[in-house]
Parts: sequence; structure tokens; C-alpha cells
Amino acid sequence: MTEIDRREFIRKAGIGAGAFTASAWLAACGIGGNDGQPSGQASSADPLTTDQINGTLNFANWPAYIDKAKGKSPTVEQFQDQTDIRVNYKEVINDNVSFFATIREPLSNGQSVPWDIIVVTDWLIAKMANLGYLERVDHSLLGNFSANAGEIYKDPSYDPGNTHSIPWQSGITGIAYNSELTGRDITTVEDLFDPAFKGKVGMFTEMRDTMNLVLLGMGVDPQDATLEDAQAAQQKLLQQREDGIVRQYYGNDYVQPIGNGDLALTMAWSGDILGKTLGGNSPIKFVVPDEGGILWVDNMAIPQNAENPIDAHEFMNFVYQPEIAAQMTAWINYISPVPAAQDILKDAKDNYTRQVANSPLVFPTPDIESRLHHYRNLTEEEETEWIELFDEVVQG
Amino acid sequence: MSSSARARGRFVPYLLTLPGIGWLLLFFAIPMVTMFSVSLQEGSLEQGYRLTFHWANYSQAFGDSSTQAFRSLFYAAIVTAVTFAISYPMVYWIAFKAGRKKHLFLLLLLLPYFTPFLIRTLSWKFVLADTGIFLGPLKDWGLLDESFRLLATPLSVIAGITYNFLPFMALPLFVALDRLDPAMLEAARDLYSDRFSAFLKVTFPLSLPGVFAGSLLTFIPAVGDFIDAELLGNPSTTMIGNVIEREFTDSFNYPEGAALSFLLMAGILVGVALYARWLGTEELTG
Repeated sequence: MTEIDRREFIRKAGIGAGAFTASAWLAACGIGGNDGQPSGQASSADPLTTDQINGTLNFANWPAYIDKAKGKSPTVEQFQDQTDIRVNYKEVINDNVSFFATIREPLSNGQSVPWDIIVVTDWLIAKMANLGYLERVDHSLLGNFSANAGEIYKDPSYDPGNTHSIPWQSGITGIAYNSELTGRDITTVEDLFDPAFKGKVGMFTEMRDTMNLVLLGMGVDPQDATLEDAQAAQQKLLQQREDGIVRQYYGNDYVQPIGNGDLALTMAWSGDILGKTLGGNSPIKFVVPDEGGILWVDNMAIPQNAENPIDAHEFMNFVYQPEIAAQMTAWINYISPVPAAQDILKDAKDNYTRQVANSPLVFPTPDIESRLHHYRNLTEEEETEWIELFDEVVQG
Repeated sequence: MSSSARARGRFVPYLLTLPGIGWLLLFFAIPMVTMFSVSLQEGSLEQGYRLTFHWANYSQAFGDSSTQAFRSLFYAAIVTAVTFAISYPMVYWIAFKAGRKKHLFLLLLLLPYFTPFLIRTLSWKFVLADTGIFLGPLKDWGLLDESFRLLATPLSVIAGITYNFLPFMALPLFVALDRLDPAMLEAARDLYSDRFSAFLKVTFPLSLPGVFAGSLLTFIPAVGDFIDAELLGNPSTTMIGNVIEREFTDSFNYPEGAALSFLLMAGILVGVALYARWLGTEELTG
């Protein structure tokens, strides 16, 4: 299964349930819900629920986001054998927001949720940490993380000091192009605005990806972006649309048109394009623009008041062993936060795994890494403003 | 029949409708009330949504999306007219001239619709691709400019909806024409009517219930369609269905999405009421 399935398709199929929760229904019947204020605020003194290993771990993850063999995950099996912690691994997350909607209410009331580890994307980590919905991680239990994690995964802007999360896997938002149709190499975000490609350019319906990439193209670091910058980005996008340069705004469905020549170039997620670039003969190429691309990171985090926080730490530490990280990457094909996994995969017996090991889309080169940025952390107010600006763009 | 049996008999009609009423209550009435409540809520995903009778959702929704709303009505009107123009002669021929093969032709008409909606529309993307099996050769032979395209234009969206909704127009028309008593036409001719005025004065008026049903069945879902605009359209063909979908799946502005749905529903109800009045269908369908 590819990124598109996880991020877009299922998301579209399963509309978020936020507004339809019990409290909304009670409210509809005239019964007041809670006051909506977060009451589970964590302070640095807030202790974990236990300092013992309980022998159980409830893990919520996305579908197809861990290695599998014969219906089981070798990584999970090995962890269970070595630690005597029984893992209750569930693929219950189909998109960030609707998953968040399922745990928001108990968390806001200071109650625990049935998960010890959840995997969500960086911007949601920032949001949840800010609301006090996540436990602080104890780095004294995460020796493998400090020893083996790549430098760009440490102290990220969305979670300074990795106080509430450590990365699971990640991917890049950049540009894919068909070199036969563009007739030249695409190197910049500005190329997406080139009138020469009128009607042949694809952009994303994802607000975060599109706005942040365009800001990078304007030379603005998303983290420093002001509302004026966001408005300027909107104007640029509106102009691009008015000039007929954009063929359509895509969710997951840009892969087919870039493959069959309807699109000459498009915003793209690295994971989608990986399969087309392995082997080296395809005219389809993926590029991280000169001005920068976006590294989105899915992270492991422990929800506030989780029952088995020490078991969770054990697992988080376990997957940062290079051999385990390599074993997962060979199957998942996303970017591993453990660079040492690359050397292990390069020695693999099968050709496909060696190609994966050598792909810059799975193991970005230092040059690429230096151009990667995170999504802008948006406050709730900013998020509303940005969504409004962006909706105007995609709803022509 | 004893009096108790008669008393029981009185309840039979209610008992018979019970499954239907239960079904409607569960899957229509309750969701409608919930949605209506959502349309009056305020809030965000983080804070949750609370019912505050925020009627401004409605004015906000209308202000934000009137362009797309009018575009949808416009597209749906064209689609209704085109499906009518295509199906009427076709089913007229099937009803009156196809004889014993009538049902075979009807089956042929419906055959493409045995394939799911989404697959049919996706295959249009394949057929109409810029360098696909249709446009590719024409461009190679120099008959079309390289930049010419059919996909991602209003034309492909309207054509896509027309194609997808054709049976909704064709079938009611067929039923109306097929029911028509041939003796009526013979009578018209006996009274010295030529074929054309027989059609205008007998056939067409008698097929009006079919026209009415067909145009409603086509127009209403066409207004709310979003698949065709999403797959075959460009940024300037966004329809109201796309806006509502986006409010729910991307912007998580459930209240505004719900308000928009109710506005659309109200608009369509008013339109249909006027249309019914104009066509005077109580007589025709009753």
C-alpha cells in the first residue's frame, strides 16, 4: 500500500467524525457538553502513570505502516520475544484528523485513552502537545534514539527537544515531472508557475503542503511566515489558477495523470513516485526544489495518562536499533529516521531492496536533507485564516 | 369476520409500513436532525463543536459558495436539457418502432450502467487523456494543436454528468411513451391530424409525466454531483458538491458544510415546487 492510500483515499472515504460525537448529539438535544477547555494540561512535573513495565502495549498505527510477513510483523514478534511485553497492534488510523476526533474528548476531560503509542503527523504532535494531551517522553529510556537517529530528526521545530515524540517514518513533499514533456530539468518551485506549462501543472488540495511549498518558493521560511506572507502566497496561487496554468488540484489522484502525460509537472509525495523512479529508465523524476521541500514526519507519542508508558518507551527504543529499522524500511519504503539502516539494506540479497537502499527518496542525501523544512506550526487562529485563504484558491 | 379481527385489521396498514418508517427514522430523520444541529454549531476540531444556534453559518456558507452554487444549477440545467434531447428520440424509437426487440434495446441502453459510476468516469479520463487513444493520434496527424485538450474543461464535466445520468431521463420517458395507447394516435389521424401535429397535440402532452419525472431525477442529483467535476474538471469547474465535500474532508468546517447542504436542499425544494406548479403535474401524474 502506498502513501496515497493512507493519506488521501481512506481519508476521503471515511469522513471525519468530529461533529457527530455523542456530545454534539447531546448538545442537539439541549444538553450541555463540557466547556471545551482542555483540562488535561500536563506540566513538566506531571508524572507518568507508572514507572514499571506492565507487560502490555496498545499501539495505534496506520495501515501498512510496519513490516509484515505471513500476516504478522517480524518487528513486533521479535519485540515480544525479547521483552515479554505483549503488543496489541491495531491499524486504526486512517487520517490524522478523524483519529484525533476519536480521542479528543476523553483527553480533554483528563481521562485516558486505550492507546499507549499513537503515530500521528508532526503538525498534530505540536497541536496535541500544546493542548497537554501527550506525555513527555523520558529520554533516559531512549538510548537508541540519541545514538542512532539522524540529526534532522532531533530537536525538530514541531516538537523542540523531542519532548513529546520521536519519529516513526517520514516522507517528502516536492515536485515530480515528466522530462519528455517539460523538455528540461525542473529544479525550482517557480517552475510550477511557468506559463509554458499552461494546463499541465498539478497542485495539491492539501493546504499544508501547498501553502508551505509556495512559501518556500517565495524565499520565505514557513516557520517565519506572517499572515501577509500567507496572503501573498494565496495571491500567487490565485494568479496561477487564473492564468490557466493549474490543470487541477489533486488529492491522491495526481499519480495517474503524471504517468500518462496529462500533467507535465506536479506537486508530489516522494513515496508515490518511488516505484516509478527505481530502475532509472523512466522519464518521471522526483526533485526536491532548490528553494526547499517539505519533510513531513509521522511520530510516535504517548497519550496523556496512558496505562503502559514504560512499555511504550521500550518499544520506541527497540525500533531505533539499525537492524530493526532496516527490516521495517525494506517493507515500508518510506524514509527511516535511522540513517544506519541504509548500509544494512545495501547488503541485501534481493535487487529490489538494494535499489530501495540506494534511492535518495528513501535515504535522502545530505544535500537534499539540507533543503528540507517542516510544516509551519499553526496556532488555531492562524490555521483558520490559512484554510480560508487556501479554500478560496481551490474552490474556483 | 369477528369484531376483534376487524380491529386487528385496522392496524395492519400501520404494521406493514413499520419497517419503512423505522428505516426512514433511523437513516433519514435522525441524520437530518443531527445535520441540522451541526449546521448551527460553532467550534473547531480541537475544541469540539457546540450548538450555539449560530445562524451566521448559513449566510457565511452562501456568501462563500454562491458562485459554485449557481454554476452547479447552470451545469445541471444544461445536463437536463441535453439528456432530454438525446433520450427522447431514442426511447421514442424504442417504444414505437422497435417492436418485439424493445426490451433488447432497452437492455443495450442500460448495459453501460452495469459498471459502477466511478469506473465509468475514470475510464473517461483514460479515453480523453491529452495524448490518449483518442486525442493522441489526432495530434500526431496534425489535426489538432498540441495544447488542445478535452479533459479538465467545462465541456468534459458537463458531458460526463450527461453520460452518467442519461438513464435517469431515458427510463421515465420510455415508461410514459410505452404506456401510450396507440388508439389515441389513430384517433388523431382519423380526425385529420398530420403526424407532426399528432405528436405535438397527443404524444408529447401524454409523455409529460415522464418528462417531469425524468428531468427531476436528472436535475436533482446532477446539481449535487461532485465526482465528474473532481475527475474531469479543472479549478474553474468546481461544483457545490465539491465545496461541501471539501468542508467535511479537508477543512473540517462541519457546520458550514452542513449549512450548505441545507441551503442546497431548500433551493432544490423551492425549484421543484415551482416546476411542479408550472407543469401542473398533479393532474398528469395523479
